[in-house]
Amino acid sequence: MNVHDEMSDADVLRAAAGSLSKIPMPGAPDTAAIITTGRARRRRRMTGVMAGTAAVTVVVLGLSGAFAATSHQPSGATRHQPTHRGHAQLAAWTVTKLADGNISVRINQFKDPAGLQRTLRADGVRASVTFASQRNPACRPYPGGTPAPGSVPPSPLRPSTLLKQVFPQPYRQLGPPPGAGPAQMVKAGPPARPPSGNRTVIVIDPSALPRNAGVQLATNGAAASLRLPVVVYASPRCTGS
Amino acid sequence: MSNHQAEFSEFFQASWEPCLRAVVAVVGSPQLAEDQVAEAFTKAWMSWRTVSHHPAPRAWVVRTALNTGASWWRRRGRELPLAGHDVAAPGELASGLDATLLTAIWRLPRRQREVIALRIFLDLDTDTIARLMKIEAGTVRMHLSRGVAALRRELTPNETTEASR
Repeated sequence: MNVHDEMSDADVLRAAAGSLSKIPMPGAPDTAAIITTGRARRRRRMTGVMAGTAAVTVVVLGLSGAFAATSHQPSGATRHQPTHRGHAQLAAWTVTKLADGNISVRINQFKDPAGLQRTLRADGVRASVTFASQRNPACRPYPGGTPAPGSVPPSPLRPSTLLKQVFPQPYRQLGPPPGAGPAQMVKAGPPARPPSGNRTVIVIDPSALPRNAGVQLATNGAAASLRLPVVVYASPRCTGS
Repeated sequence: MSNHQAEFSEFFQASWEPCLRAVVAVVGSPQLAEDQVAEAFTKAWMSWRTVSHHPAPRAWVVRTALNTGASWWRRRGRELPLAGHDVAAPGELASGLDATLLTAIWRLPRRQREVIALRIFLDLDTDTIARLMKIEAGTVRMHLSRGVAALRRELTPNETTEASR
């Protein structure tokens, strides 16, 4: 008897669908978050178009002096004055300087990324922090600063030595356990609306960062959870200095 | 809430899970898929006037999510969502035959996974999948046939022995 007769294509697809359907899925983010992100991006796009149009107009009119005067903007609050020693606490996040010199970042809510970036800078960590749907496009990954991809999904996490040194947490906990096969993957992340108490902690070792590098902390596409932190090249446009 | 927004909201709520499952079937990781699908829905909202008139808007979202993932890979290298700081064994996602089948699905070539995901979760016919993936219908049938054959081998591991008797 031919076994193919026992299991049609439709049966195979049904079985595959059944197995895939049992995978626990993250819940849908709030529609409002998607809409707000989309609108913000549209606004940015429009602003860019308008700025581009204005710039072209200015050039065409030969008003180079006026252009130079209006396009120059300060780079922002780059001269940060440290306001804390050892411990700074805000409602949205907490930055703690540990006894071993490491910096612990505990994130409760995705608010005030600029403040977190300044606080980390004051503690000697150049950082790019974005809690929007898009990471800072000016940041370039540092060699070995992002987890290496696996060849077969679900991919194993293969953090580099640099990542393990710069971020003792989470990367030292993320490596596959001894004897693990290739099909390892990360567990589901925090829910879309993290309740209080379900906090994200990242530990940074500033001494492990190369001189020209900084860290990048960013949320995922729906701004619902934090991505794995990565190491990037420090630059004025990425990390502010 | 405008009609435009209400219409998108209804589409989003009804389509999130099937789109996410289709993308998970291709990329293998629920967390990566979540990022990509959220990004695709954001793009869908930004172009809602066009997407709402698309013959298969869910397929548009899935295709956009998969393209977004490929684009991220090219631009930034691999980035993964920060999760529970630990690693789950495959058995935590599924067990027994389900785990075997999931491993088999994720070992298929990507095109085969895409075709199977679009067929299973979006219930698309061969011609629609072909238009969406910009390939010939015959190629879709070939990917589907090869993918199903590989999965069947996992479901009936003694098939060769049986068939050779």
